[in-house]
Amino acid sequence: MPDLAVDLAPRNPRELVLKNPVIAASGCFGYGLEYAGVMDVARLGAFVSKGITPKPRSGNPMPRITETPAGMLNAIGLQNPGIRGFVKKYPRVWETWSVPAIVNISAEAVEDYALMARILDELPGIAGIEVNISCPNIAAGGYCFGWDAGMSADVTRAVRAATTLPLIVKLSPGAMDIVGVALAVEEAGADAISLINTLVGMSIDVKRRRPVLANATGGLSGPAIKPVAVRMVYQVAGAVRIPIVGMGGIMGLDDALEFFLAGASAVQIGTAIFAQPGMLVRVIDELGAWMDKEGIASLAEIVGAAHPRRPAIVEAGQVGMVDVAEVAAG
Amino acid sequence: MAREFDGEILACEPVMGDSTLMTVTLPRGMAGGMVAGQFVQILTRMDGSHDPLLRRPYSVYGVDPDTDTMRLLVRPYGRGSAWLAERQVGQTLDILGPLGNAFQISPRARNLLMVAGGVGAAPLVMLSEQALARGLSVTYLMGGMRAEALLAPALVPAAVEYVVATDDGSRGHRGFVTDLVPDYLSWADQIFACGPEAMFLSLRGVVMRHRVGGKPTVQVSVERGMACGLGACLGCVVETKRGMRTSCVDGPIYDMDEVVW
Ligand SMILES: Cc1cc2nc3c(=O)[nH]c(=O)nc-3n(C[C@H](O)[C@H](O)[C@H](O)COP(=O)(O)OP(=O)(O)OC[C@H]3O[C@@H](n4cnc5c(N)ncnc54)[C@H](O)[C@@H]3O)c2cc1C
Ligand SMILES: Cc1cc2nc3c(=O)[nH]c(=O)nc-3n(C[C@H](O)[C@H](O)[C@H](O)COP(=O)(O)O)c2cc1C
Ligand code: FES
Repeated sequence: MPDLAVDLAPRNPRELVLKNPVIAASGCFGYGLEYAGVMDVARLGAFVSKGITPKPRSGNPMPRITETPAGMLNAIGLQNPGIRGFVKKYPRVWETWSVPAIVNISAEAVEDYALMARILDELPGIAGIEVNISCPNIAAGGYCFGWDAGMSADVTRAVRAATTLPLIVKLSPGAMDIVGVALAVEEAGADAISLINTLVGMSIDVKRRRPVLANATGGLSGPAIKPVAVRMVYQVAGAVRIPIVGMGGIMGLDDALEFFLAGASAVQIGTAIFAQPGMLVRVIDELGAWMDKEGIASLAEIVGAAHPRRPAIVEAGQVGMVDVAEVAAG
Repeated sequence: MAREFDGEILACEPVMGDSTLMTVTLPRGMAGGMVAGQFVQILTRMDGSHDPLLRRPYSVYGVDPDTDTMRLLVRPYGRGSAWLAERQVGQTLDILGPLGNAFQISPRARNLLMVAGGVGAAPLVMLSEQALARGLSVTYLMGGMRAEALLAPALVPAAVEYVVATDDGSRGHRGFVTDLVPDYLSWADQIFACGPEAMFLSLRGVVMRHRVGGKPTVQVSVERGMACGLGACLGCVVETKRGMRTSCVDGPIYDMDEVVW
């Protein structure tokens, strides 16, 4: 049986070891309980919760979702019970589960991210935090944190100071310089980087001559964004040393393999779950079978293998890309 | 409990002009647990394609626990439903279900009024059967564009009083189905409605104008675009007096007075 295990926080004593590299993505798996009846959640490497905010949010008006070619737009508006409502309900359930639960947090001010991280730090049942920086920064006039390396680093530093939990920072594809943001959050203390969040898009109802979504714009996800996501993972993997979690449009094993080859140590699957909840476990099983067939003993052997001039095999035990920054510079 | 399963199409019967009544197999034992108002989500994806990406919701029209089958009423509308309507006997469907809550017949109710618009007829036939089995009286009002678009009387249980309205007057009352409602308001203990949003608004207007002391109560099956069907994505919510509620888990059936219209 090939080794599918991966540690997404090798620099952190609290580590984030997953038995396999397949994670259910934020906003697409609720709080895990929603899917407990239709699939075996315990088979997952991990799952990420819906984005939690400091205060409860009732979300955007309807319609909030619409289908697009090979994709969908969503403008849920971060409907969630707020950090206090969240704390009362979910950690005590997750504590009894074997699968690692990662909490996704969103805020509109640096202090609010830190406040939530401080609350989560002490709780049982939480394996790590994923920081969603694709949010408007109120202090910066609503400019998205994740579009700017400095603001992304500010959030990361504040959360790092507030918790010793494994910390994944989730990058926004709207960043002007995705590699610059990645390097900045690595430097600021992120244990891992995940990408990509949704791309901002819009559909217009020609009959009504109005945007389909009540919010006008929404986040594009699904197969339509996969090439953009793979490119960004590839670029970021060429620059950082911490593990990368890749996502965007994964619909099956072949898509997941593209992300591993681009340099991701683990993948998240989001939109695909809506149509086929069974796909999560299918990808895990097919990955094991594929590695067997290809004679690959450990996932680390293929992580980043698509990069030219990269050592063909990563040192045993070390996950993620190595020294490609030098390669790129040279 | 919802599951993802393959259902084989056993029969396709043309109904209501352009629609199809489909008989589909269920995993053994599932039919007995399914109740009127619930729905299933069907993957209507073209072979080798990512489109349409999301499942389509379909109300359960009826179940037969003896044969482990259910029936669905499919009206070709856009891409997903057109794909489904073209399926043939012997093909299988990828189904997620059963999903959602159910119509609730009050223990004190004697007389039930069904109000159906178009394919909204689907869950109300099953509800009528449940009501008749309890010895209740049922009147079923149905509206459609023209006579062919109506549910054939043979599909409505014989013990039900079936009254129809058509836009063009080709059968029954000429006009909206909701025009018929005032005649039954003092008789009905409960009203159950399924159809387009415009029908709900007009039904609400009629009921609010005529009813006394909050009677009769009205339950509606609300239609929202859906993704997960399991309460995870929060893409299908309905605003209620107690906050946002998902229409896939907390609904699709709501008390009309609870919804913020
Ligand atoms: C709980 C629930 C139960 C349902 N039960 C049934 C049923 O028993 N039988 C049945 O035939 N259908 C039923 N539907 C509706 C069915 O799911 C729709 O036919 C389907 O969503 C339309 O998908 P499509 O792929 O055909 O159209 P699409 O290609 O998705 O739609 C084309 C366009 O029409 C719009 N649109 C989609 N559906 C509607 C609509 N109903 N009214 C107005 N505009 C629309 C879309 O926004 C889009 O712009 C139900 C829906 C819900 C939520
Ligand atoms: C309905 C929906 C809700 C989402 N909510 C969140 C969220 O709360 N926080 C977050 O970081 N990402 C959220 N995402 C983004 C996904 O986690 C993921 O980054 C993106 O959808 C790309 O992956 P996919 O193509 O596999 O879905 C959401 C996506 C969808 C479709
Ligand atoms: S369809 Fe996802 S919450 Fe209802």
